[in-house]
Amino acid sequence: MTKEERLKKRHRAEKRFRFYGLTSIFVALLFVVILVQNIFSKGSSAFKKTVITTEVFFDQELLEIQNGASQEEIMEADFYDIMIENLIKAYPAKDRDEEDELLKLFSGDAEIEIKNAFLEDNNLIGKTITLDLTASDDIDQLHKGNYPRDLPEERRRISDFQLVIYDYFVENKKISKNFNNYFFNNGDSRDPELAGIGGALVGSFYSILICLLLAFPVAVLASIYLEEFAPKNKITDFIEININNLAAVPSIVYGLLALQILLATIQLPRSTPLVAGITLALMTLPRIIIPCRASLKAVPPSIREGALAVGASKFQSVFHHVVPLALPGTLSGTIIGLAQALGETAPLILIGMVAFVVDIPSSPVDPSSSLPVQVYLWSESAERGFVEKTSATIMMLLSFLIVMNFIAVYLRQKFEKRWN
Amino acid sequence: MSNIKIKSKNLNVYYGDKQALFDVNLDLNEKEVTALIGPSGCGKSTFIRCINRMNDVIDICKVTGNIEMDGMNINDKDLDVVSLRERVGMVFQKPNPFPKSIYDNISYGPKIHGKGETKSELDQIVENSLKKSALWEEVKDRLDEPGTSLSGGQQQRLCIARAISVNPEVILMDEPCSALDPIATAKIEELIDELKKTYTIVIVTHSMAQAVRVSQKTGFFHLGKLIEVGKTEKIFKNPDNKMTQDYITGRFG
Repeated sequence: MTKEERLKKRHRAEKRFRFYGLTSIFVALLFVVILVQNIFSKGSSAFKKTVITTEVFFDQELLEIQNGASQEEIMEADFYDIMIENLIKAYPAKDRDEEDELLKLFSGDAEIEIKNAFLEDNNLIGKTITLDLTASDDIDQLHKGNYPRDLPEERRRISDFQLVIYDYFVENKKISKNFNNYFFNNGDSRDPELAGIGGALVGSFYSILICLLLAFPVAVLASIYLEEFAPKNKITDFIEININNLAAVPSIVYGLLALQILLATIQLPRSTPLVAGITLALMTLPRIIIPCRASLKAVPPSIREGALAVGASKFQSVFHHVVPLALPGTLSGTIIGLAQALGETAPLILIGMVAFVVDIPSSPVDPSSSLPVQVYLWSESAERGFVEKTSATIMMLLSFLIVMNFIAVYLRQKFEKRWN
Repeated sequence: MSNIKIKSKNLNVYYGDKQALFDVNLDLNEKEVTALIGPSGCGKSTFIRCINRMNDVIDICKVTGNIEMDGMNINDKDLDVVSLRERVGMVFQKPNPFPKSIYDNISYGPKIHGKGETKSELDQIVENSLKKSALWEEVKDRLDEPGTSLSGGQQQRLCIARAISVNPEVILMDEPCSALDPIATAKIEELIDELKKTYTIVIVTHSMAQAVRVSQKTGFFHLGKLIEVGKTEKIFKNPDNKMTQDYITGRFG
């Protein structure tokens, strides 16, 4: 082989390598784009809900309360008759059957929505107001275009007559899309149009908070001790190997551990963020210790020696100099650990967070759901409305993860000292 | 003849199985500069790190024999290293200021030893230390800037200021100029000349010329043994040992 041939071969090898690299990056990006596009196209419609603009007349005869009634009186009062009377006027129905079909176009919360309007203004008796009442899931999906109306009637959840009413609403501009406040404020529900991630958000928040409060101090103190104070011998080597092993243990194993110890033995309340937080803390502990030790290791020994040489004790050199310098790396490691914990599903299913919980938890010992488990629950549901809810929940979860990872990267780049 | 400040007797140092110092007997005179020369890995740095017990940091390091300062055994296991290091300061090969302000770099030592009770006392210590290390004029207007923003030579003088801020009796210098250019080196050497009026100084150096310029006494180490020690003039003009002769004339090392 001549010199020129060898040179050409080397150039070709480099070109090939660049091509492989570019291809793999392109393929990876393509998958990300497909994933994001898929989730967005399915999920973005969940942030809007379909409402039917309805005139509501507060008839004194149908209500047992007066104008100016107190909050408690209104809460206890029955608004069912008012609701029925007003809803059937939304479309000129001919008989009782048609009226029933008409009523099914509204969500199960129509009565509560009317009551809430009265709670806001308790002088409405004898007056007529216009309310945007939430439509049922079927109308919601139909209006969003997710529902094929050209199927034969027996295979549709919406009858031909309901389609006629829907078209009448559209013609008279009585149907529109509003911001879906239910998605953020409500807990889980059997009705997709009323289901929300409020409970899951609060549950996840409590879980991660407990996880942080338990895992962070233990992990940081363990790292500092192991890295700075512990003698280097077989025992600490053994501990180090086991920390690395623990970080690789499948998360479901932590779920089993929690099931046995926290629920069966200690009898903590099941399905609660408290148990979830403790379980996630166990799982996150080694995942925080590893980056924390790495950032302590990255502080150059000359800083420790400098402090020791002016007469600082070991404790002072560590806590005055080494720890502050390792803090950005420690914090970003912690945030990434928490982001992993936030997306963790398997252990939470085992400790019973998969239960159907309607109420939003008011404390960490109330039964609750969490974001990833909510995704799991809804993805199993048959109703069409839950498809968009599932994707929208994934969008929320992903945006939290992106924000957390962004903060981690920012902390590291902004505050970490570079040594060279 | 000046007083002996530090006296080592049969000092042996081991790193695990490897012996780094063999029966070193070396006396350091008070308010004088002692230079330690010798090829790399000969034990000069190991020796000075025994004087402030810096070797304690290394787990596998074992020190036997005696090393005394004013009659006090430095190698005593019960000795409080914190108070020892308050009396024996150290300047390292590579400038290692804390990544904090110039002011905080110098005030840290006095603070942890409870030497500057009030802000004005601390201010005074910082100013004096910087003046003694000939850095005051260059940094007096930017004391709150990070110490790491200074040039290499300035950083090293900052480290010297940090060492003298706790008012030690002895200053150990481990090749303090090896990372500096000739101009910065000249400044440090001038400074050492000035500092020896107040402090006992031990300097490890690879530069024969530097040893001649700054020191009154020189010790030559080779393979962990102290080969020869004596007045600097004598060591460089008329050494007793053939090996010393060979080293200073550049025949090995």
